[in-house]
Amino acid sequence: MKLVMYNNYQLGLLQDGGVINLSESLSDVNAPTPQDLVNAVIADFEGTFRGRIEEIASKGQPIPLDQVHLRSPLPRPGKILCMAANYLENGALPEPKPINGFLKSPESVIGEGETVVLPTVHEAPVFHHEAELGVVIGKEAVDVSAADWEQYVFGYVNFNDVSARGLHPNSFLWMKSHDTFGPLGPWLVTADEVEDAHNLQVRLWINGQIRQDYNTNDMAYKLPETIEWLSSIVKLEPGDLIATGTNHQGLGPIQNGDIMEMEIDGLGRITVNVKDELNREWHRGVDTDIADWVAGRSSEPPAWARR
Amino acid sequence: MKLVFFNDYRLGVLKKEEDRVVDMTLALEEIPRVGPGDYMCRLIERWNGFKVRLERNAIDLPGIPLSEVQLRAPIPKPGKILCMAANYLENGYLTEPRPINGFLKNVSGVIGDGDTIHLPAADATVFHHEAELGLVIGRKARNISEDEAYSYVFGYVNFIDVSARGLGPQGADTFLQGKSYHYFAPMGPYLVTADEVPDPQDVKVQLWVNDELHQDYSTSDMGHSIPKTLAWLSTIVTLNPGDVVALGTNHQGLGALQDGDKVERESPGLGRLTNYVSDPRKREWPRGIDQEMADRVAGRI
Repeated sequence: MKLVMYNNYQLGLLQDGGVINLSESLSDVNAPTPQDLVNAVIADFEGTFRGRIEEIASKGQPIPLDQVHLRSPLPRPGKILCMAANYLENGALPEPKPINGFLKSPESVIGEGETVVLPTVHEAPVFHHEAELGVVIGKEAVDVSAADWEQYVFGYVNFNDVSARGLHPNSFLWMKSHDTFGPLGPWLVTADEVEDAHNLQVRLWINGQIRQDYNTNDMAYKLPETIEWLSSIVKLEPGDLIATGTNHQGLGPIQNGDIMEMEIDGLGRITVNVKDELNREWHRGVDTDIADWVAGRSSEPPAWARR
Repeated sequence: MKLVFFNDYRLGVLKKEEDRVVDMTLALEEIPRVGPGDYMCRLIERWNGFKVRLERNAIDLPGIPLSEVQLRAPIPKPGKILCMAANYLENGYLTEPRPINGFLKNVSGVIGDGDTIHLPAADATVFHHEAELGLVIGRKARNISEDEAYSYVFGYVNFIDVSARGLGPQGADTFLQGKSYHYFAPMGPYLVTADEVPDPQDVKVQLWVNDELHQDYSTSDMGHSIPKTLAWLSTIVTLNPGDVVALGTNHQGLGALQDGDKVERESPGLGRLTNYVSDPRKREWPRGIDQEMADRVAGRI
């Protein structure tokens, strides 16, 4: 199933003919906010809501997709947990780096057609896109074992961990958590529609030019280890998002006026804009300095990391 | 006003004498909520519509003895917990504040009065208490100025930023592994509205381990003031009602937490928060204050 949020945050089911409204038929669900409704559906999906949604869909009248305004399907996840440096960089690294992660602000999320706004008061030397496979948690997970990982996954979504670089002190909060730094969408795809989460092509284009183009088979700590590790630290809850990290080969600066498109096999394409009131300009194209540094081909960090 | 959760997360207000709690469940029936996690945040959002009703009930109704209820964390699952890092002058030892810095802490790690901090099995070099003044946001704040910062504050709460050291790559301290474990965010016993805290920039923050005073400092030693902190945070993230800002700790007086410890955290007017420590591995560290940490952060070594 593909779940969407649209217009004034109505929950919908995406089918071939368009979007079927679910919110009206699910008005009995106690959900003060749109995210609460998604969380409720996710938390009892197999027990209740898959059946209810199929029933609603069998009677519903789809609205053509081009007539709705899509929103982020997780407007405000309870938590966003990001994995750091979690790719082998197309196999360039002989072994994974030590496992590491961070929290990203749930307020950073934006959806299809929205705009990443670069902050003007923080003088980051550059801002990057980071295309990532997003994993949506389906049920509460505390200290779970790697072998059971699939039970805890509700589905998958495109996620872009937009990042500011070189801020001092070098901390995740202001590198990663700015409002609008979390494009997420265009829809949630349930896990049963994704045959192998570890063999998906992830692509990101800036103004039509391909930048990132990698496969999730290059992931260093794959989902079993990632979920085991994260759940040993924090309680994962329905509707929480895990961003599984990016492959740095292909990162590049984002700047005013850019159109950023991202697509993972089977998860649809999300398009967002970039706005910078200061109109700062950076090199256009791939940032080979960060690519070579992270892959270990160069011991010289990018200029922004040397400040 | 002192707001509490008690028993099965019933929302209550302490009577003026602070010995009885008045159950406000009926008065708050119309507040939309999913459960305890968002309940207090939704009340804070609608505070102006409920404040007078709660004040009146707290006077008119008899309430039940505080000693007969089990208190819970006043904000069991805030939308965000934003912590300030290295935000004290260490009793004036540092001549100027360090560069402003902060991090997000796991919102699912909140525990309340009487609850136990279960130390994780992970091989930390040590687990520390960090007594902090917690500030609770009252209304949506984005790019606010220092001048207006206090108008966004709903109230204050005792907070402990429990920390694991040395768990990041190559033994570094990273914030997720260092700060966000289950049970690492004790908070309470009450949420106290801002009008009851005359000068938030001069609050005594104390913490005892097994009745021995460890931390004892004033928020007057803060590196980046509360207005500056809120203004800075709001240039990064939108602050929402019920979000918690932990204002950082003074490292003079930190100490190890270990199995069997009783930890008490008190500030005048904010009540006393008591927590216990459990460690299935029964690890042992030196008891008392971690002087090496205190000296290092203050720049004496």
